[in-house]
Amino acid sequence: MLNMKNVSKVYRTDTVETHALREFSLTVEEGEFVSVTGPSGSGKTTFLNIAGLLEDLTSGTYELDGRDVSQLNDKERSRVRNEKIGFIFQSFNLIPELNIFDNVDVPLRYRGFDAPERKRRIEESIEMVGLGSRMSHLPAQLSGGQQQRVAIARALAGEPRFLLADEPTGNLDSQMADSVLDLLTEINTAGTTIIMVTHELGLVDRARRNIFVRDGRVSDGVPELHLADLAAG
Amino acid sequence: MFRYYLKLGMLSIRANPVLSTLMIAAIAVGIGACMTIVTVRHVMSGNPMEHKNDQLYHVQVDNWNPDDPYEDPDKPPEQLTYMDAKALHDAGRAFRQTTSFKTARVVQPEGDDARPFQQESRATTADFFPMFDVPFQYGSGWDRSSDVTEERVVVLARELNEKLFGGEDSVGRTLTLNDESYRVTGVIDTWTPVPKVYDLNNNPYEEPEQLYLPFSVAVAGGFDNTGNTSCWKPIEEGSGRDGFLASECIWIQMWVELQNATAKQDYLNFLDAYVEEQKLIGRFPRPMNNRLHNPAEWMEDREVVEEDVDVLLGLAVLFLVVCLLNTIGLLLAKAMRRAKDTSLRRALGASKAELFKQHVFEAGMIGVVGGVLGIGTTWAGLRGIENLYIEYEFVQHLVRMDWSMVLLAIVLAIVSALAAALYPTWRTCNITPASHLRLQ
Amino acid sequence: MEFGPVWRAMMRNKGGYFLIAVQIAVTMAVMVNAFAIMQERSFKMGRPSGLDEANTFALVSVGFKPEMDSKALISEDLDLLRNTPGVINAVATNSYPLRQGGWSEGLHREPGVGKSVSSSAIYFVDEHGLETFGLNLIDGRNFSPEQVSWDKDSPDPWPATVIITQALGEDLYPDHEGSYVGKTFWFDDDNPANIVGVVERLQAPWPSWTGVERSMLVPLRRESNDVRYVVRTEPGYRDQLMLQVEESLANSSKDRIIRQVATVDEARKLAYLGDAAMIKILTFVISLLTAITGLGIVGLASFSVARRTRQIGIRRALGATRPAIVRYFMLENFLVSSIGIVSGAVLAVGLNMFMVQAFSLTPLAWYVVPVAMIILWIVGQVAVAGPARKASGISPAIATRSI
Repeated sequence: MLNMKNVSKVYRTDTVETHALREFSLTVEEGEFVSVTGPSGSGKTTFLNIAGLLEDLTSGTYELDGRDVSQLNDKERSRVRNEKIGFIFQSFNLIPELNIFDNVDVPLRYRGFDAPERKRRIEESIEMVGLGSRMSHLPAQLSGGQQQRVAIARALAGEPRFLLADEPTGNLDSQMADSVLDLLTEINTAGTTIIMVTHELGLVDRARRNIFVRDGRVSDGVPELHLADLAAG
Repeated sequence: MFRYYLKLGMLSIRANPVLSTLMIAAIAVGIGACMTIVTVRHVMSGNPMEHKNDQLYHVQVDNWNPDDPYEDPDKPPEQLTYMDAKALHDAGRAFRQTTSFKTARVVQPEGDDARPFQQESRATTADFFPMFDVPFQYGSGWDRSSDVTEERVVVLARELNEKLFGGEDSVGRTLTLNDESYRVTGVIDTWTPVPKVYDLNNNPYEEPEQLYLPFSVAVAGGFDNTGNTSCWKPIEEGSGRDGFLASECIWIQMWVELQNATAKQDYLNFLDAYVEEQKLIGRFPRPMNNRLHNPAEWMEDREVVEEDVDVLLGLAVLFLVVCLLNTIGLLLAKAMRRAKDTSLRRALGASKAELFKQHVFEAGMIGVVGGVLGIGTTWAGLRGIENLYIEYEFVQHLVRMDWSMVLLAIVLAIVSALAAALYPTWRTCNITPASHLRLQ
Repeated sequence: MEFGPVWRAMMRNKGGYFLIAVQIAVTMAVMVNAFAIMQERSFKMGRPSGLDEANTFALVSVGFKPEMDSKALISEDLDLLRNTPGVINAVATNSYPLRQGGWSEGLHREPGVGKSVSSSAIYFVDEHGLETFGLNLIDGRNFSPEQVSWDKDSPDPWPATVIITQALGEDLYPDHEGSYVGKTFWFDDDNPANIVGVVERLQAPWPSWTGVERSMLVPLRRESNDVRYVVRTEPGYRDQLMLQVEESLANSSKDRIIRQVATVDEARKLAYLGDAAMIKILTFVISLLTAITGLGIVGLASFSVARRTRQIGIRRALGATRPAIVRYFMLENFLVSSIGIVSGAVLAVGLNMFMVQAFSLTPLAWYVVPVAMIILWIVGQVAVAGPARKASGISPAIATRSI
């Protein structure tokens, strides 16, 4: 499903070179629920950006769904993001001027579906996250948990092969966080691959597998070790 | 996607009401300033004889002072002497030809209590009317034979006919001018060539004369020329009116109608031969310098567009530039404010091309609204100009907006808005996907 | 104060500031050149014509009977006018300053046709011309009644004596020092004219003519059906006498009409209509342009404040006072404005040099550029004051919030 080999990412400014990822290798199988953890500055975010085709990689190869995606141009990358990847962000990132329906509509527009098809998908995915009665509400009229559900509906409406979640519960209280995580588990069970970047230990348990990132590399340490690290960090 | 971009554009304009209003206002004001002057200039430089531009020619021959050209650089005089006008006209070598000058007559209406009044008039020949496509409400111009027999005939303009005959068909009626009786042969329908191409010597934008009578009658009667008279050689002392007519003073405008290039070349050859002949009897001391200008060339040569208008046009263009710089700045501000939205759309799969289209479309919308309002500001600007020059009767002809100007205003507004949007849109499209989506 | 940090912060985000600077520069260029044109026009409009403008009017009598004794009619009219109470004097002439239509002649220093050395406007008057026009005779004397002759429409031959303006003397005899009285020039090959008097000033009828100060009085009464009278009245009697004179002339003969009754003030207004309109248009353009640039500064400054809300909060939390925040934005605007204003000054002078060439505009007066600079600096500071005050109102508590 997702296969990164020796991926490196170097940020260069006039004076400094920062190695965000060094020889990073990772394989994620179809249907997995993987959590990615690590201390601040470990390269989690860079990994997420590269996995989501938001950034170029400096060297190495990245195969997604059996296709080498490391050399695509902007248009092709946009297409892959649009069709195969769903994003969920810590701060929800709903567009405040658009209502729920129109927010979910955004990626479908770029997909080029016709109107009935878009309407069907939007309604289905909003129903699925349990907000069928709120379709014409603006984001500001919803609670944080509900907003994140809308974001999930938006991510799922295009039926992506995998979801990238970046601290999906970071801005939520524990009760809301639980319900969002239940939803993610449900989605995973239904067959969608999920990669979740987080530093909350509670979330790690939800994943079937945990990857610990440190200094831009996958660390092969035992879970106890990274738990201790996290506690220290 | 068209409707989607339309919707996004509306949302964006509504989401930033102050910025959007400022931008639209800046474009509307800039377009208004520019189009006001462009419209005035457009009318000023218009060619009312465009459809006959390759057939009508203004005639010039150089009878001037051997030591001193009429006008630098070596231009022939813009009018003819009576001797030359008469000879060239009577030769009849063109398809049509007309000689004319501006004069004034006192009209004495019938009835005891009607007061006489002075009327700007044109002394001209029969061909004048068909040459300049003068439209007639009643009757027509006079026959060429009236020019020869010095018959007292007259053509009135619609307005004067209304004043004298209540707008009735006055063909055949009698009109008294300076105690002499004239027979009306025709009434001209509404006719306002702007500029007044057949005589650009004084004010090129004044209304055409209201009264036309035969050139031969005016010369025989010694009617004053109320246009310009210029002389370089003294008139023979004590020779009176005949001396003036035989002098080197210029005061008559002449036009010919030539139907094709061959006819034009033939006429130039004819002029050359005429001048050679005159040189033999001691006239035309300057080198051969005959000219035939078509209406467009003649207006160009006479510089009918006021210099002030060109100065204002330059300033108006700079004014629009400032308005556009203003718009660029505001669009940039708006784009940065929306960086988060943009970066989210990128993450959700919008390509750079799609974002570019979205923003350009939005700029186009602002351009359309700015352009429509710009038509309003242009209209207001033209009313302002009209008020400033209200004492000049002709100003009303210069401040009319036609459809081509309306269209130009909108196109200019859209092009301006798109030009203004280029840099901000380029900046927007280069926002990295998701760069603005994490906590800051 | 904190010049360095402000400058470095600006350099990190050049785009927006660059735009404002360019906008100010173009505004400056337009402003300065519009000023220059306005100044030239108002100078032109301010020149006196030489007439007693406030107390003078003119009218035209047009006789329309073919066989008329116009000589007798003119003499009667002049008697009537000169004997009207309140009238200082009146004269029959062909034109007057500011009328925009008249007679001009090329002049020669030697007899013969050759190239003329100067040209002058011609006013045909009798010995009452000097007083009617209200001219200041600075040398020589007025015409004597014997020097004034009658002739047909055009002089044939030209009278042998003339009174010229000082400016015409200078143009005719550029190397001559001392009095022009007694000198001779020629109208045509054999028409000499002897200068008997010099007036300080009498403009030609065409205000836009480069030789507008060159004119002369020629002692001639023209026997013509069309005659123009110029009438000078006691102060305060002009408007009332204008109506009265029109009426009495119209009643004295049925064979003529009276037209073009107008005061010199009206003629002046009409003559300078284009210049006055130009001044108004340019004033409007400058004001609007300054307003637009000001609004642009307000818009971008507001945006800049909004974008830096958090940064400002942090500064406040770190101890920056409200005035310090205001100063920061004012200083930032001052720096941007200065760049725009200085490049604008260069642009303005360049544009002016072009306009001097292309449109024969007079070059800039030295003080126009500094005045425009000061105006634009003030506009910038005023425009930024609002957003800056708003910025200073941002709560330091914002620093502790996460979004």
